[in-house]
Amino acid sequence: MTSATARVGSLVRVTFALAVLLAGQGSALVAQRPAAAPKALNDISELIRSGKYAEAISALQKVPRFDSAWISAQRDLARTLSLTGKYDNAETVARQGSAASGGRELWNTLGEVLRERGKRAPAESAFVRAMADHASDSLTARLNVAILHFEAGDRARAMKEFDHFVDVYNASAATLTSREMMAVAIACRYLGADNPQLFKDALKAFDRASSLDGDDLDPRIALGELFLEKYNDSEAQGAFGGVLAANPSHPRALLGEAKRLIADGQPGTDSLLDRALQVNPEYVDGHVLRARGFLDIEDYASAQREVDRALAVNPASSSALAVAAAVRFVGGNKGAYETLRQRALALNPHDAEFYATMAEVAGHVRLYSVSADFAKQGVEADARSSGALSALGMNQLRLGRINEGKKSLDAAFAIDPYDVRVKNTLDLLDTFKNYDVIKTDRFNVMIEKDESALLSIYLADLTERAYSTFAKRYGYNPPPPIRIEVYRSHADFSVRTVGLAGLGALGVSFGTTLAFDSPAAKDAGPFNWGSTVWHELAHTFTLGMTANRVPRWLSEGISVYEEHFARPGWGADVSVGFVDALKAGKLVPVSKFNDGFMHPAYPEQVIFSYYQASLFCEFVTRDFGDKALLGMLQEYAAGKTTDEVFQKVLATDAKALDKRFDSYLRQRFAGPLAALTGDTADASRQGLPASALVGLANASPRNFRLQMMAGISTAEHGDTTAAIALFERARALFPEYGAANGPYGHLAHIYIAKKDLAKAADALQEIAVRDEADYGANVELARVREVLGDTARAAEALERSMYINPFEIAPHQHLADLYHVLGDKDRVVRERRAVVALSPVDRADAMYRLALAWHEAGDDKEARTSVLRALEDAPNYVPAQELLLAIVDGRKP
Amino acid sequence: MSGKQAEGGRRTADTAVPVVWRGAALLLLAAFSLLPSAIRAQSHVLIISGLGGEAKYTQSFAELSSRLATALHTRYAVPDSDVVWLGEDTVSKAPHFNGVSTKVNVARVVQRFAARARPAAQVVFVLIGHGAGEGAESRISIPGPDVTATDMLKYFAKFPTQRIAFLDLTSASGDMIGVLSGPNRVLITATKTALERNESVFARFFVDALTKDGADADKDGRVSLLEAFRYAATETKRLYDNASKMQTEHAQLDDDGDKVGTAEPTGTSGDGMLARRFFLDAGRYVARASSNDPRVAALYSERFALEEQIDSLRGRKKSMTPEAYDDELERLLVPLARKSKELRALEGRS
Repeated sequence: MTSATARVGSLVRVTFALAVLLAGQGSALVAQRPAAAPKALNDISELIRSGKYAEAISALQKVPRFDSAWISAQRDLARTLSLTGKYDNAETVARQGSAASGGRELWNTLGEVLRERGKRAPAESAFVRAMADHASDSLTARLNVAILHFEAGDRARAMKEFDHFVDVYNASAATLTSREMMAVAIACRYLGADNPQLFKDALKAFDRASSLDGDDLDPRIALGELFLEKYNDSEAQGAFGGVLAANPSHPRALLGEAKRLIADGQPGTDSLLDRALQVNPEYVDGHVLRARGFLDIEDYASAQREVDRALAVNPASSSALAVAAAVRFVGGNKGAYETLRQRALALNPHDAEFYATMAEVAGHVRLYSVSADFAKQGVEADARSSGALSALGMNQLRLGRINEGKKSLDAAFAIDPYDVRVKNTLDLLDTFKNYDVIKTDRFNVMIEKDESALLSIYLADLTERAYSTFAKRYGYNPPPPIRIEVYRSHADFSVRTVGLAGLGALGVSFGTTLAFDSPAAKDAGPFNWGSTVWHELAHTFTLGMTANRVPRWLSEGISVYEEHFARPGWGADVSVGFVDALKAGKLVPVSKFNDGFMHPAYPEQVIFSYYQASLFCEFVTRDFGDKALLGMLQEYAAGKTTDEVFQKVLATDAKALDKRFDSYLRQRFAGPLAALTGDTADASRQGLPASALVGLANASPRNFRLQMMAGISTAEHGDTTAAIALFERARALFPEYGAANGPYGHLAHIYIAKKDLAKAADALQEIAVRDEADYGANVELARVREVLGDTARAAEALERSMYINPFEIAPHQHLADLYHVLGDKDRVVRERRAVVALSPVDRADAMYRLALAWHEAGDDKEARTSVLRALEDAPNYVPAQELLLAIVDGRKP
Repeated sequence: MSGKQAEGGRRTADTAVPVVWRGAALLLLAAFSLLPSAIRAQSHVLIISGLGGEAKYTQSFAELSSRLATALHTRYAVPDSDVVWLGEDTVSKAPHFNGVSTKVNVARVVQRFAARARPAAQVVFVLIGHGAGEGAESRISIPGPDVTATDMLKYFAKFPTQRIAFLDLTSASGDMIGVLSGPNRVLITATKTALERNESVFARFFVDALTKDGADADKDGRVSLLEAFRYAATETKRLYDNASKMQTEHAQLDDDGDKVGTAEPTGTSGDGMLARRFFLDAGRYVARASSNDPRVAALYSERFALEEQIDSLRGRKKSMTPEAYDDELERLLVPLARKSKELRALEGRS
């Protein structure tokens, strides 16, 4: 059922198979075409096609009633008016046209305009009239009737009606017009819910429709939407791109491309949406998407404003009703939610998509349990809703209910084998057999077998310590066991988190289920896995104690803030880029913090936002007391909005807080702000000789960049004395900057070369406690400290390095020796266990040394087990024999 | 098992170390009957290094060959006359270099070894260089016509009773196993198939295992071919892992004659059983075990008996509970440790 081979990851074009699906019984269809349009009308069509809607409307309005193409012009006029949101005018035009001679050609258009406004019953009457009158677009009208039935929840009837289009195709494929072929395609798309193979037929039919009338953009847009629905984003991009090249103002294509950007995690959605809504300010789907964007950043007021506008245009829009209900729900207005739910279900009692949307929105704001409940209701409403099933499965997995989640996803996949998120996740679940689950008092840690022996040594202690620390600080105990999943492949972690590869994060917390990259996930880059665990576990507490109501920005801020407390060097720190952004006003204010995470204006803004949010926590603690953060969390737990929390705990409003926090930042980084003057990369200075750069640096001794440029240049020319002076000056200007390419890195390099190890150690120490992921600096610092005879601080440095790269055997052996000297017997055991876990070639020796460590730590039971393992491999290993005898004889060696 | 091969081994040992203390004869016989047969063998080693093609490979092949040849003499006490290195260089003055690695010269050395080798001797072929070909045409690139798997099979036929180790450290060597596998042979190839043609790093680690400290996993002071293989395979994997590269060579070992290699031989069953007892240092260990002191000889006898029992116990590990296994293991290891201590004291090594 869930084998990888059974799953199709992307929509693949195959031979059009409709002809063989059903044989015979096709109802005869004779396409009735309008009279050929006059040349002038063709010109107008070109205006429409290229998006010059105002000109087209003006020209169409001028077509005289006596013109043989008047009816056709009225249909185009009604459609163009509808496309640009002038629905009342469109309805008037369509009604007038339908009442005129030859007006049967307007009934379907009238129905479509009415449907845009949610007037379903009159819309259906109009479609039926078009069918009865044998209008040229009666097949499209027939499709529209079926869609109305489907949207009203009369699924069985609708599917039967859609099925008719297969007969139509089989009987008349060669004579179908582009629009009729598109009707067949749309019918196949609906039928695909019961038979996924028909999605392929829909795809092919859209292609055929497009080839029958290259000027008609609608089939290409529909094709793009189908690709998007089936997660084939690159093909969707091609389809929408092609349409927008021909008509850059097509609202539906703009919306499709905006959705595609969201799916690909790319910026630019807002501008596309703005363009779509400029063309059609009443565009329901546009407002709904915009509302979803506001929901993502937890701006519920704006989301409500947008979706209410959509509902004003079309009070029967199921998507708008669902989002409106979601806005009310996450905003805490359960009464309004229930009213909207009743409205939606009155329109379609089997509206599983309503619940799927609720589940999705709830999941976005981290209400995973609620999300699962909504998804379950969706499945109950329509057991064949793959959307509800997949939402249910994904959320069950997030809640740690792995078996249930797999079952739900299996069911979703059986219905929709094109959902790559489901497929990827099922593939990942199949690999869980390759993992060990290590249980501690409060945690179940799932680690790939290859590295579970090593990582569990550190994780067991780290997680339990984090739990105790946070439980004390926040007065909250998350219910055990907390599930932690560690992924050796970053792609697997990404799939576990969002169903797709390519996620930029290193860890995720779903509350009591966490996942993060193993330090072996090299494709994630060097990072500190210890601080990542600490960070994600902090989320478990802030999410749990607020029933997941804490806003994303505050939860992230507290997690980074907690990292800073955990160990020196852990957590994001200030960078040149951050100070530049502060200076340029490119950091988001407190009131817009979620934008920085969810809708970053530039790539670095996400990283900056993590650090900035932690600074906010620092600021709150400094100015409002140690208990202020806890107080904020408690108010969120009580269901207060952010504005209410600010008022109650900080006695201020968002606007005033923005100002005050900005002042705090400018005060805190006053030095670097002053020192980071001038341009960031003055090309004219790059080629200057060292002497000239030194001259510039001396002339502007408060300019950090000039000191660095001159320092680097002089160092390259061998004048280390001058370089030291320049780097020391740079250090004084921006002492918080700890990156290896900053002053400390250069100073350490020079001091080591000059054998001034004490100063080298000082410089390396600054890097080690400011850059949490600099493995090399810690290893080098350990070496230097040891040469200086500072065993304790050498051990500190190596201890830090283990949380960046624990896979090298030699540092573990070395650290064990250092701890032995320091008399830290427990840590000697830990490091000896780590060596064994790394499968050294000399396993017997590693086991012996572990046995000795246990013995010296007073645990002869473990010592015996280990020494037996050593002697099992090497029966004549003399030191191990001596230890065994010592253990057996009850005396120390 | 080694016990089945003790007769031939005893005869070889007699020739290697004359027994001068008649009073100890019975004890010595008892001791020898328990000696792993490998320690009684005389080794003849032919190292064939091939064409480099590029200076860096030429240099690398020569360096590895020279290092191995030197260690065979200095670390393993194999007589100079039994270590022959044929290589690409025509003018090398390196120790143990015996000429160019042409097919003719290889055949000549093989003939010489065949004439000299005792029935229970061990013959070791080491191939270092670029491999090529597939199946029976698998070969090492050498000056002139290459030596193929088919040729090797003919050379092997000249050693009907001797134990053979064929250590093909060349790239694309994997198919050799399918051709050369047979009883009483340890075959090691640097790759799994002939299709793994990229430069191999396994050779470097394998030579390291035999020439440096670190591969003696069982701490008996000797490196068996199994230990050398496992060391090299582990370090090869580690090198690729640490560099985040996809491993393009997967070394294989076959010594059960089934023509199928194993990447992870354990030495407790299947492949690895013979390699575990295949050592290059024939002489020194035997000398120690055949001491004139009857107490020493007796202790060695007891020690070997215990080692055999431990070996047997390890084979039954899966059928026992961990607790019972450890108890039984300790019951054997404690007396072994005491006897070893006693031996060290008697031999002045403690």
